[in-house]
Amino acid sequence: MLTFLVIFVLYLDFTIRTQFEGKRWALPARVYARPLELYPGMKLSAEQLTAELTALGYRRDTANEEPGTFRRTKDELEIVSRPFRFWDSAQESRRLRVEFNGSRLAVLHDLETHIPLNLARLDPLLIGSIYPAHNEDRVLVRLNEVPLDLVRALVTVEDRKFYSHHGIDPRGIARALLANLRVGNGVQGGSTLTQQLVKNFYLTAERTLRRKAVEVIMAMLLELHYQKDEILEAYVNEIYLGQEGGRAIHGFGLASQFYFARPLNQLQLPQIALLIGLVKGPSYYDPRRHRERALARRNLVLTELAGKGFIDQEQMIAAKAAPLGVTSKAPSGASPYPAFLDLVHRQLRRDYREQDLRSEGLQIFTTLDPQIQRVAEKALAARLSLLEKHRGMSAKMLEGAIVVTSIENGEVLALVGGRDARFEGFNRALDAERQIGSLIKPVIYLTALERPTSYTLATLLDDGPLVWRERGTKDWTPNNYDKKSHGEVMLQTALANSYNLSTARLGLAIGIPQIMENLHRLGVERELAPYPSTLLGSSNLTPLEVTQMYQTLASGGFRMPLRAIREILTVNGEPLQRYPLAVEQTIEPAPSYLLTTALQTVVREGTAQALNQYLSPDLHIAGKTGTTDDLRDSWFAGYTGDRLAIVWVGRDDNRSAGLTGASGAMTVWGDMMAQLDPEPLLPAQPENIEYVWIDPVTHLRADKDCQGAVELPFIRDSAPDETSPCVSRSPMKAIKGWFRRLFER
Amino acid sequence: MTRKIYGLITLSLLLAGCAGQPSSDDTSPPVSDKGAVVALFDSAKADATSGKLDTAAAALERALRIEPHNPALWHELAKLRLQQRQFDQAASLAAKSNAWAGNNKSLRAGNWRIIGEARAQKGDDQGAQNAFNKAAELEK
Repeated sequence: MLTFLVIFVLYLDFTIRTQFEGKRWALPARVYARPLELYPGMKLSAEQLTAELTALGYRRDTANEEPGTFRRTKDELEIVSRPFRFWDSAQESRRLRVEFNGSRLAVLHDLETHIPLNLARLDPLLIGSIYPAHNEDRVLVRLNEVPLDLVRALVTVEDRKFYSHHGIDPRGIARALLANLRVGNGVQGGSTLTQQLVKNFYLTAERTLRRKAVEVIMAMLLELHYQKDEILEAYVNEIYLGQEGGRAIHGFGLASQFYFARPLNQLQLPQIALLIGLVKGPSYYDPRRHRERALARRNLVLTELAGKGFIDQEQMIAAKAAPLGVTSKAPSGASPYPAFLDLVHRQLRRDYREQDLRSEGLQIFTTLDPQIQRVAEKALAARLSLLEKHRGMSAKMLEGAIVVTSIENGEVLALVGGRDARFEGFNRALDAERQIGSLIKPVIYLTALERPTSYTLATLLDDGPLVWRERGTKDWTPNNYDKKSHGEVMLQTALANSYNLSTARLGLAIGIPQIMENLHRLGVERELAPYPSTLLGSSNLTPLEVTQMYQTLASGGFRMPLRAIREILTVNGEPLQRYPLAVEQTIEPAPSYLLTTALQTVVREGTAQALNQYLSPDLHIAGKTGTTDDLRDSWFAGYTGDRLAIVWVGRDDNRSAGLTGASGAMTVWGDMMAQLDPEPLLPAQPENIEYVWIDPVTHLRADKDCQGAVELPFIRDSAPDETSPCVSRSPMKAIKGWFRRLFER
Repeated sequence: MTRKIYGLITLSLLLAGCAGQPSSDDTSPPVSDKGAVVALFDSAKADATSGKLDTAAAALERALRIEPHNPALWHELAKLRLQQRQFDQAASLAAKSNAWAGNNKSLRAGNWRIIGEARAQKGDDQGAQNAFNKAAELEK
């Protein structure tokens, strides 16, 4: 019996030491949006900065002393920024003055040093957490960060002899035992802080004498091995203090944020008393659901503190008169951006074990731009409702997805997984595999333009009826959207109008394997069926895959993996990992330049012309519409000088949505981009590109005086040699033309 | 052996070239008219000199978010990757710099030298020679 007891105690000792010294708390990973960088000359209005600060939880405060406050006059903001530890350095709190000139930030000043600043970073917005297994959430605090008042009040109310006992209070236990004998079974009261910690830490909710005995032994062992302060620090972080849906609020650090939206060290006496009162029963005394009960409990704590001389009568009366001071709504633990968080989580799982993500307290810095995200979500929801209304569809029939990226570095700026952006379910941006229709056509034209001796933007293509016969398969007879054939058309025109016949013929002439090869070079990893119908987009891709493909086109032939994460810090703020900008030139600059100019023609005079109702033609946007059979999928892929966005609209049941790319997805794209103030698209012109006038009738070399002549880019030496008869035959002109060509070569 | 010689030649060319590259010291024009970009570029250079290559890269990426079409920033990032012996990245970033370099011949020559060096290190002697020739041609 004695041996058994010794072994049992040794076992408990082992358990308690390994757990206490090892990982004491599972800390959720925190996920942050991009920090806003402030610098003179940037596009940012006073309204936008105010919105950003409000989203960050900065308070408008005329005193403007505390970090996390700001004040605003018409064209000026004064901000006291919060300190923050970034990947590359820690940034102290700063007093900033920001002056605006219309839609631009004009001057940035440090108010302490009176020195103009080049650059300042705001702390980033917390956009979500990846919680441990039991959804325990906490903000870890060190004992020296906990207000002394709170520690003293805690000890006074919960365990007066904490600093002198050895883990248990024999008289308390005796009292409890006696009470239990009187009541019958069950165990109550008499717990020291150490016992409460053990209970929270290691034991289940079971209430038996046996468990009580284990608790007593463990509490004594804990006291044997550790200092009072260590035990207290553990307690302060472990104690259960509230619940929000499935999320359990542990520790005073998080509770302070959860109830008062303030850090622990900013709490006043009445707030401290409320938190201490909650220890006894966070749901019974829930200050949001049971105000009266919570108030009574808080005041009882205050009375007790006064009774034991911790505060005087005056303080007690003043504190009792104070309101509860709890924010009306509990801050949600669920991310406002579940679709983007989903992408972050998937990218993380490639490099980290799930259990580490959920317990190591990693700090994850992402690329999300909350301003762009907000605009994208709103544009999708509003447009889909409008489309349904105008077309007499029943409400909520249409769905959609959006991906927005930054062209030159592949960062994902916004991601919308459906019209209800808060819904944490099917993520269409990542998981909806839909036919891409004409969105595949640019790959075919790119592959053609890589062969400048055979194809240029001015090459004539045959858009006559087509029957494709292959042994063992049904004849393939594609059709144009308008059911007409258009005879001979210029390559650029065929793409601009998204003609199927000429495109299919072009694809077959180049070879399907060559086109699939190029699709991979653009960054699509999935293998598509090598059938002729794939040339017209009968294969499925997700919006994210389409984004990867257009990213390479938009960045001038440089493939870069789409990134949602910039860097990761450990819980202590040490750099752990960076996801650097990586580029790979997979397409030559010249054909990719030609393709971009052709995609600009799509918007200027082709299937996406109507985009000019949303955005100025001076932006020279490049884009492509996509529509699939029976109008099931409506796509638009487009890029400006700074951003690429892909929009898909359709129905989850894959029935007809009744929308073309231009009448559905493109309207969402236009609405969204118009609010993002895009940069014009001026692609870098490669050195081996020359511009030549072409006669639209003969498709031969012309000059600008020829009627209707268009100036087109060509890869050097690929423009037609022959001159159109429209060029007047005057000898002077002929000589000039000859010289010009000589020097252009 | 050939590669070693190439290496020596390029290294000296690179060093000579780097001296002529845009930087924000007093003798050459600033890398940008935006103070934020200049500050980040300078801190990247300082970090690179003291061996903090990842921090330097992070600063350049910040600068590129502000001015994504600034070829000098891409060039500097290419140089960093070369220093880190990430040869494919170095060559691609130098090509990216070239895409935005326009008529800046000395910068383009510098990029071609990086491409040449990256190719030489990967054993592509012929490709390296072609790249060095382009650099020389641009500097004529």
